[in-house]
Amino acid sequence: MSLIELKGVSYSYPVKEGYNVKALRNVSLAIDKGEFVALAGMNGSGKSTLAKLLNGLYIPTDGEVLIDGLSTEDDANTFEIRKKAGMVFQNPDNQMVATIIEDDIAFGPENIGIEREDIIRRVDEALEAVGMSEFRRRTASKLSGGQKQRVAIAGVLAMEPQILILDESTSMLDPNGRKEIMDIALKLNKQGITVINITHNMEEAAIASRVIVLRKGRIAMDGTPKEVFASGQLEACGLTLPPVTQLSRALMDVGFEFDGVVTSEQELVEGICRVLK
Amino acid sequence: MFKDVAFGQYYPSNSPVHRLDARVKLLLTLLFVISIFFIKTYFGFMLTLAVLLIVILLARLPIMSVLKSVRGILFIVVFTAVINLFFIKEGEVLVHSGIIMITKTGVHTTVKMVLRLVLLISGASLLSLTTTPVELADGLESLMAPLKLIKVPVRDIAMIMSIALRFIPTLFEETNKVISAQKARGASFDTGSIFARAKALLPVLIPLFVNSFRRADELAFAMDARCYNATDKRTKMKKAKLGIGDLIAFLFIAGYTTVILLDRYYFRTVGIDIDLMIFGDLL
Amino acid sequence: MPCIEIKNLNFTYSKKTPYEKRALKDINLTVDEGEFIGLVGATGSGKSTLIQHLNGLIKVQDKKQSSVAVNGMSATDKKTLKRLRFEVGLVFQYPEYQLFGDTVAKDVAFGPKNMKLEADEVDRRVRRALEVVGLEYDKFAERSPFDLSGGEKRRVAIAGVIAMQPRVLVLDEPVAGLDPVGRSEILALIKKLQKEISPTVITVSHNMDDMAAMADRIIALKDGEIVADGSPKRVFCNRRLIAEAGLDLPAATRITDTLKARGIDLPSDIVTMDELARELEKLRKRGLLKAERSAESDYFGKAQQDDLSELSGEDDDV
Repeated sequence: MSLIELKGVSYSYPVKEGYNVKALRNVSLAIDKGEFVALAGMNGSGKSTLAKLLNGLYIPTDGEVLIDGLSTEDDANTFEIRKKAGMVFQNPDNQMVATIIEDDIAFGPENIGIEREDIIRRVDEALEAVGMSEFRRRTASKLSGGQKQRVAIAGVLAMEPQILILDESTSMLDPNGRKEIMDIALKLNKQGITVINITHNMEEAAIASRVIVLRKGRIAMDGTPKEVFASGQLEACGLTLPPVTQLSRALMDVGFEFDGVVTSEQELVEGICRVLK
Repeated sequence: MFKDVAFGQYYPSNSPVHRLDARVKLLLTLLFVISIFFIKTYFGFMLTLAVLLIVILLARLPIMSVLKSVRGILFIVVFTAVINLFFIKEGEVLVHSGIIMITKTGVHTTVKMVLRLVLLISGASLLSLTTTPVELADGLESLMAPLKLIKVPVRDIAMIMSIALRFIPTLFEETNKVISAQKARGASFDTGSIFARAKALLPVLIPLFVNSFRRADELAFAMDARCYNATDKRTKMKKAKLGIGDLIAFLFIAGYTTVILLDRYYFRTVGIDIDLMIFGDLL
Repeated sequence: MPCIEIKNLNFTYSKKTPYEKRALKDINLTVDEGEFIGLVGATGSGKSTLIQHLNGLIKVQDKKQSSVAVNGMSATDKKTLKRLRFEVGLVFQYPEYQLFGDTVAKDVAFGPKNMKLEADEVDRRVRRALEVVGLEYDKFAERSPFDLSGGEKRRVAIAGVIAMQPRVLVLDEPVAGLDPVGRSEILALIKKLQKEISPTVITVSHNMDDMAAMADRIIALKDGEIVADGSPKRVFCNRRLIAEAGLDLPAATRITDTLKARGIDLPSDIVTMDELARELEKLRKRGLLKAERSAESDYFGKAQQDDLSELSGEDDDV
């Protein structure tokens, strides 16, 4: 059994009287424990809707979402699922409930009635994991965007989840903040947490183990970054190849050769050195 | 326009007064303020002033920060002082010319009233100067806990307070941003009739409302995702512990209140008049 | 006469409080009309304080020492301040969050109306602004801005600023939060605006790749001071300074450095991917020529000679 399973999931919501938007159409997919999945697509492709279906913030109009075997449709499962699948949102300013950082991280564990000593341990560990221990008693409003998102991740980690969903969590950050968040996601993934990163940034997609591309509410592509970048379909989905891949393409036109599709700077450099030396 | 609005007037420091438990500070401030109403003699006022100065020193507050809060009620002080001074007709007449008549009782009443108001406001401002809004909210929640028995949703009220406090800086920042953006398009907020000015605020208020609803939506998602309302047995990470400092503070203020009460109800009855001992014939 | 002239500008926030912070230190700057400037710097380096001085949103603190003037209008002179607002169009970060009109047309008309223009001139400008940002007037004018997509909202917000037809356009992180399609559309739009409406453009950005490709001149701020000012090539050449200012190098420059460390002979002033591709292509051609001259040509075979002729053919086309 996969950790996350979507069976023929559709989701539509009303925008006006008698007029529905179909955000997702008949999506089926399975994600196993330990995967690092990039869920990509342009704005309006349905990727954020899909994210919110994974922890019961939305309930499918049709089909079924199973998290660790539990259906999101059953109200009795809701909080069990939200404990398993934690979510960090897009705007760093709109997801913190407390002014002091450690208070905010304790919010989740407090909600599910964890014992005091255990909360303190969890907050310590979560702060440590995102490298924010020294900030624990500071106020959130003085932090950078990247630091705020790290606090938000810590708030999720304090619930000891199996799945970390990043719902465009880097899209409002500067390049440094973006890198901070991706480094933490990679580290957590190595420790066994399944990561689902919703993004339209293909440099982020390139570091995932699997890329799922959505287009108009359907899955357009599903494979390794190399497979997806090689497909030639990315532009049609409103996305662009990462700069290194673009450069490698330009170089191939003038006679350079690379082993398969280039997705990282290292592969690019190796390929160039092989030809020029 | 909204640039200088300070939220709360917290003066950051790590003084012994700042470190006191917020609940203790709330209760002691209440006790102190009530005591001020019981002061009858000049000795009582001097004692209160001394207590206040000691606390200000211990809290390492600049004296200006306390006086600032007094400035806010200056008008009320002057107004009531004038009323008292000119309209109290009892007692020995000091000045009498034309319709103006000032009596000794009038002067005493006025001076005491001014002292009482100034001390009252200074005392209350010490609480907000040394306690963050969040500590205050938490303290209030904890003090209101018994109300849960009569079905007051103390936890939700505390949550609302805490979220409101959390978003005040965010909203101020956003207000300033929207004002700047509209000013950049030539909006002006300080010219024209009152009606024109009110209308000029719409380009600021509409985006603020729209954005606040959007924020509220996102915050609700974020809270749901972190299992808000999962159980009635919500726990708390922070359990405020009372320390030795809290005990000392309590004894200090309780001692002060005792002296004030003694001064009002006991000393005089056994023939002790401290005012007379200090000021003698001056009064 | 220079278009923008800033002399000895200093600025301190929350003066004489525990929160006092010096945001700008001795800024001296002249910008000529027609320049495209990339203003870069870490968060809190003073970029947004600086740009808000340009249209008088932030008042010059020390009027004796400092001066800010745009096209001869001084920000310290009350008489010219109001006109300065309209001379410098300022597009804030996430400008779509400042939309308020019940229709797109009314929102865009806000600036021109504040300029006290005639009704038909206001209308003309609204039409022109919407057309320039790529929103068809008949289709969008009467719609509510709140019903539009994210990218469309941002266009409306930009239209609201350029409807004032400012000679200087300042944009703070104009592509923040957009998807790839939205990004490239807005970047192309900025170039178009420079050509058609505002000849001088200042863009604040964290994206060094965009800035290297678009800007004629990069100005880097660090802790309120200008630490670098020059062409992208010159500014990014100083690797140490860029690192000290908490900035990234353009990806192409970074890759160039890695390649140079591996012994590949590239110039160190490469800032765009296109340049890097061209330089690598040159190196490869040179390598091939060498290979051809040497006796090893048999080993490499004919294929690469074909490559070479193909390449030179392309060169001819260019």
